[in-house]
Amino acid sequence: MLQLLLNGAVTGLLLSLPALALSLSFSVLRFANYAIGSYLTCGAYLVYLFNVLFGWPLWIAASVGALGLATLVVAIDYLAYRPLRKRSGVTLLVASMGVAIALENLVRLFAGNSPRSFDVAVARPLRFGGLRLNYEQLTILITVLTALVLVWIIFRLTRLGRAMRAVADNPDLAAVRGISRGQVVASVWIISGVLTAIAGVLVGLDANIEPQMGWNYLLPVFTAAILGGIASPMAAVAGALTIGIAEELATLVMPPHYRMIVAFLIMATLLLVRPWGLFGTRWVTR
Amino acid sequence: MTAYLIATLTLVAITAITGLALNLQWGMGGLVNFGLFGFYMLGAYICGLLTVQGVPPLASLVGAMCSVALLSALVSLITVRLSEDYLAIVTLGFAECLRLFISYEEWLTRGTLGIAGIERPFQGLVPAQLADTALLAFTLIAVALVYGALQALAFSPFGRLVRATREDPAVVEALGKSVLTVRFKVFAVGGAILGLAGSLHAFYYTYIDPTQFSPIITAYAFMAVVIGGRGSNRGVLISTFTLILVLEGSRFLVDWVPHLGSSELAAIRLILVGAGLVLLLIIKPDGFGKEPRSAEAEIRSFTST
Repeated sequence: MLQLLLNGAVTGLLLSLPALALSLSFSVLRFANYAIGSYLTCGAYLVYLFNVLFGWPLWIAASVGALGLATLVVAIDYLAYRPLRKRSGVTLLVASMGVAIALENLVRLFAGNSPRSFDVAVARPLRFGGLRLNYEQLTILITVLTALVLVWIIFRLTRLGRAMRAVADNPDLAAVRGISRGQVVASVWIISGVLTAIAGVLVGLDANIEPQMGWNYLLPVFTAAILGGIASPMAAVAGALTIGIAEELATLVMPPHYRMIVAFLIMATLLLVRPWGLFGTRWVTR
Repeated sequence: MTAYLIATLTLVAITAITGLALNLQWGMGGLVNFGLFGFYMLGAYICGLLTVQGVPPLASLVGAMCSVALLSALVSLITVRLSEDYLAIVTLGFAECLRLFISYEEWLTRGTLGIAGIERPFQGLVPAQLADTALLAFTLIAVALVYGALQALAFSPFGRLVRATREDPAVVEALGKSVLTVRFKVFAVGGAILGLAGSLHAFYYTYIDPTQFSPIITAYAFMAVVIGGRGSNRGVLISTFTLILVLEGSRFLVDWVPHLGSSELAAIRLILVGAGLVLLLIIKPDGFGKEPRSAEAEIRSFTST
């Protein structure tokens, strides 16, 4: 039981980075970016490129890969989303789906369909009393917590964070106060890109690197973000933990391959009962 | 060569039907259905399972259409309290869960083994060498019927109501019409059409398994609607029978271009679809077709921008 909770918390932490990235971009741009799954895939493959083909140690490869993905994400925003920003959110949704399909198949074209894994040593699981903790899980735990603390510091304590919150809250008022929306948008995409790339590496460590990996995370990530009340980034972390633990506990009554159905059921119930999210405030319009 | 042409045309005609369904939901109604392939898959499986049980093919087809219509309308109700944006993720989630369910519930769907030996309509009446041609004719008749029905719907008062809901739900509510009922009906009708398309898929292949159904079906439908012009049924037909025909026909290239495997070609095709979708939304948001009664729409867009 405790083991399940621990596994669930680790899964939740893994989900929390892309969920945070998703709701961060939603809070500032007001559109749900369906390409987040394929960003995750691209991030994992970029890091794979540096780690396995160039032979760099994983943490250097991951840092360079994260910056690479951040650049890519900003470029995609510049080319695809920016020209559409004046249009309705629905148009942007469809465009982001187009971006998702193009990116995923770009990966397929260059890397093929077969699963791969990073060049890391296999280690024995650690044991604490009755609890078992994989080396991968430990890496996830430490990396995600560090990343979350850093994002929290940026968000709460820096000038940039204040600007981001201001634009999310009221873009017109922020513009009147001299906050440059373009800069805020770019920094939001950079942070999202870095977080998603890290998540890609961790998913790749936990399982395999394959072109579908991000797509499989799309639904739980959206559910986590909606649980947190989609426009409040830090609450998405709480949402992600809830999903992770719920998915893990559900394996007691359901076969493990139905985790996605658990996420869907949680989302459906939530949308029917508390559409503004477990932790969000009631701003959602009908 | 003729066999190849007939096969491609049948697939393109089925894509045209999915495009028409999406044109009703997204083109006219502004409702994003990313889970389109799930409803299509559901139609194929219901129809396939019924025929294998000995139900006549036409009856299975009707059964598939009715049940997909009902289920699709029910899924649209999950977002009863929310704006349309959430429909996108709910339909996508539904489709992905359905695919998992079909892959693992072997007692019902035979899982990844798939269902073989699906009987086609009028199978006993046509000689075996003409079977594919007969099915193509059947599919084209289905396209014509769906087109006729949707065209009638577009010009009816209900069609106006659907377009009005897309433009401004608040106005529709203020005029005493229920936005929710519109959404429910649009998903029911769209679901029936997707059920039809899925059944035709099952008839065409006579064998179905979960790997045949992927979000690519959704992508093709969006492509057809974006190029054809949102809201224009004629545009959707023209765009599927030109562009999607070219895309599907490009499978040919495998035999002609060296060093190009079919998986690379599939990837390139989908990169083009994805990038093309974004590009068209940017440079030609209204597509190449015209929505009926677009004069009013033009005035509105002129005054609002």
